[in-house]
Amino acid sequence: MIRVANPEPFVEREDDDMIICRCEEITKGEIRRAVYDGMRTTNEVKRYLRSGMGLCQGQTCQRLVQGIIASELKVRPSELGMIQGRAPVRPVEIRTFSKNVTDVKED
Amino acid sequence: MKRHELIVIGAGPAGLSAAIEAKKNGMDVIVFDENQRPGGQLFKQIHKFFGSKEHHAKTRGFIIGQQLLKEAEDLGVRVELDSTVMGIYENKEVTVKQNGEVHHYKGDAIIIATGAAENMIPFKGWNIPGVIGAGAAQTMMNIQGVQPGSKILMVGSGNVGLVVSFQLLQAGCEVAAIIDAAPRVGGYGVHAAKLARTGVPFYLSHTVVEAKGTDRVTGAVIAQVDEHFQPIPGTEKELDVDTICIAVGLTPMSQLASNATCDMELIPQKGGHVALLSEYGETSVEGIYCAGDVAGIEEASSAMIQGRSVASHVSMKAGYLTEDEFESKYQGYQEALGQLRQGMFAPKNKGRNDFTETDEGYPISKTLLAHGYMTEEELSKFPAASYQKAGIHPVIECTQNIPCNPCQDACHFGCIKVGENITRLPAIDEEKKCTGCGLCVASCSGQAIFLVDETYEEGFASVTFPYEFLPMPKIGDKGKALDRQGKPVCDAEIVGIKKTPIMDKTAVVTMKVPLEYVHAARFYRAEV
Amino acid sequence: MLEKREADVIIIGGGIMGCATAYRLAKRGVDVLVLEKKEIGNGGSCRNAGGVRQSARDPKELPLAMYAVQNIWPQLSEELGVDVEYHQGGNLRLGLTDKDIKVLENHTAKSTKLGLEVEMISGDEARKLCPYMSEEVVAASWCPSDGHANPLKATLGFYRKALQLGVTFVTGVKVMALEKVKGRIRKVITDDGVYEADQILLCAGYESRRIANTVGIDAPVERQFNEVLVTEAQPKMFDIMLGVAGGEFYGHQSEHGSFVLGGNSGLQAFTSNNDNFVTNSLTAPCISRGIIKYFPILENVKVVRTWSGWYDQCIDVLPVIDNIKEVPGLTVAFGFSGHGFGISPAVSIAVSELMLDGKSTTIDISQLTYDRFHAKG
Repeated sequence: MIRVANPEPFVEREDDDMIICRCEEITKGEIRRAVYDGMRTTNEVKRYLRSGMGLCQGQTCQRLVQGIIASELKVRPSELGMIQGRAPVRPVEIRTFSKNVTDVKED
Repeated sequence: MKRHELIVIGAGPAGLSAAIEAKKNGMDVIVFDENQRPGGQLFKQIHKFFGSKEHHAKTRGFIIGQQLLKEAEDLGVRVELDSTVMGIYENKEVTVKQNGEVHHYKGDAIIIATGAAENMIPFKGWNIPGVIGAGAAQTMMNIQGVQPGSKILMVGSGNVGLVVSFQLLQAGCEVAAIIDAAPRVGGYGVHAAKLARTGVPFYLSHTVVEAKGTDRVTGAVIAQVDEHFQPIPGTEKELDVDTICIAVGLTPMSQLASNATCDMELIPQKGGHVALLSEYGETSVEGIYCAGDVAGIEEASSAMIQGRSVASHVSMKAGYLTEDEFESKYQGYQEALGQLRQGMFAPKNKGRNDFTETDEGYPISKTLLAHGYMTEEELSKFPAASYQKAGIHPVIECTQNIPCNPCQDACHFGCIKVGENITRLPAIDEEKKCTGCGLCVASCSGQAIFLVDETYEEGFASVTFPYEFLPMPKIGDKGKALDRQGKPVCDAEIVGIKKTPIMDKTAVVTMKVPLEYVHAARFYRAEV
Repeated sequence: MLEKREADVIIIGGGIMGCATAYRLAKRGVDVLVLEKKEIGNGGSCRNAGGVRQSARDPKELPLAMYAVQNIWPQLSEELGVDVEYHQGGNLRLGLTDKDIKVLENHTAKSTKLGLEVEMISGDEARKLCPYMSEEVVAASWCPSDGHANPLKATLGFYRKALQLGVTFVTGVKVMALEKVKGRIRKVITDDGVYEADQILLCAGYESRRIANTVGIDAPVERQFNEVLVTEAQPKMFDIMLGVAGGEFYGHQSEHGSFVLGGNSGLQAFTSNNDNFVTNSLTAPCISRGIIKYFPILENVKVVRTWSGWYDQCIDVLPVIDNIKEVPGLTVAFGFSGHGFGISPAVSIAVSELMLDGKSTTIDISQLTYDRFHAKG
């Protein structure tokens, strides 16, 4: 994929203030601007804005974010890569994590 | 570290079925589920399922759940609840949060059966309280016994949106409207029809543009959309609702597969990012499998068969089934899945909206797709829906090829025939005599079968219909007969009510209406 | 379809070194093309805990760190037009044992000699700076001018700025080999055909060695596994960058409020892990025990994810930043050994000078040469 700066100015839209990533409160406008700034994949937008870095780890917003990136770039969402599933797939307290039981009592 | 021959993640329909199959074959299996009770989404499903006998058709979802649990218990399948699988590591090690600690387990094989999560659509105010997922609404109503709201806008006319709307009515809520951005009802026509006849309006080619309110929903603005799904200015309409329920599809909850480094792909027909699977359900990581919605959105009936099918492959690889034994089981499961995956709503047809006629060559009702009900003119093209005969007889308003045949088994006199292919429309055998028992009426998961008697009394006919609301009418009650779009058409008097255990809480109610309304009257509302 | 196969300079590696150097070169009017195998910042650039630290560095690379802190980091957000979340809250390097204290004292003495303001303080003094710390800490080194930044924003900020200045990036292209033409470096052979330039910068992290080998260049660099956990956001507690003497626990609270904490289980040098960045099931528990030991107040905070990455560990834990005389036109910058992020803005200045002026005049990098591993004379 070849990437060069977008020579056109960024155009704001009426619904740019709509929240897309609820966990991190990232708006549609921020995502559109990130694409304008050069972010071309789901992960680059995530790293740039934190979309998908919250408690749900993108389960809710990934689809929406990809939809916006895809429509800005005029590509299919399947071409944008995906957020890597990372342990813990559900948030876990540090206290719990620290209790690491490797020898399980036989029952 | 504890090692098991099979670790199943998720005790929903796919996971439990997989565990049952593996255990039956002699495997050492353990199931983890993050919830406090097993069964996944099955226990929220109070409606009767489709399919045929082997798919538990006409059984309510939560009862299927109970049966599955009992089967698992009887076999001694170990199900660890309140146990959240946190990650899958190298060499098929999983970490599980249990009792405030992290436990490590290893499996020779792992079946990921984590199901799906609900999709959301963004619109102005979509993140204020009162905008909820349809699944959340189901949990509130059917698990916790709480109404999610009093006046509800349902966004999405797929089966989930339709089924949950009906449940909302059953729970005593008002469904102000069902909307969908698509120009056609997405779910089964029979599900739409049973809502339309209660008076719920459908707005196709409509989307929600705003949730009104600041700290909670006080209204919803909907608008018509153009062919690019963009709202058309000037078509906005404000609805007086306190809850907006979103039922716009599901996304596979596939993070664990991704975490386990399985090759993933975004496949829209499967609902989102899924692991690439072999024909036996194995991912690119040997010994790690996916089954159920996490492998691609379908429904509980197919998830249960997939679970068994995948587990039989695991059992074969572990030496508990010979290749021949596996092959014959696998063929059986594939046939059962194949039956469910036929017809207009088959997964392969997802997104298709170009069906104009049924397999039998009858024209598909446009009004049904646009408004949720059928006109008498459209019904007249379907022999079983326009069947007329002296004396009591069934009228079957089932007009799409969906995989379902309990009506055929329900009639002990052979009046109704579906045949081998369960997506065929039911046909009425004119030679066979209907006794008016009503079993077919109660057995139809789509509530699309009625009994009609044009010769009930001089100048009057009787119409028998399924009824699943409270309060139950009583014989002698007088009210209005409603037509297929829920409009009162004439006076009606309740003249019969049947409720037997085999009908499983679907009452079969008979009303008397003036003869000229016999083809219009399909529901009843008490006079208030 | 847009295509670009030739440039004045080709940079191999779209990490922070590549993006920052592309920006510096473009600023000086050079036509630059950056080749990246995956996504921008996919390697160590976006897989580190964001330390901008001068203390406890080898004196040989300290000039880079001090230059970056004194001259670049404080203005970087403004320069790039992207908030890189730089916080100059100081660095506490914690000691629990006598052995730790010796390590810290040694570093402190060496760094002071080079003009860095860093001192040894007692456990109680450390707790005054960071009241949430447990009694376990008996001493620490304290460098008030150290800090931290957001590596993702910094990497992508440099990328964005480079794009704006006319740099072309090509992603999804794997470099297979380099080739000389008439005695000078010229061709970059990729899985997507050949790219050509007068000068080539190789800054591809641990993959640099494989690529350098194709023109007979080698340095003792191996990849090392590294894991970090990230918590949910918390109210602001402290701005200090933390580490322990042995380096087995480090991190900070980010501007967002989440804690970004790295550590290890002691097994990572021998991981059988592949390129898929799977974490080890024992590491996050180890880091969590470290957190509870040093910051018991965080015990109920939730971990939202763990991640891992590979960094390019050089045998002497120092980078190789040099023009390769054997292969004229080839410049290398790799082997940052897990602490390259903080110095990256300075490295980009040194490298751009190496490439355009023949030597780094602004910052002394004379101790980081390629020939330090090879026979003299």
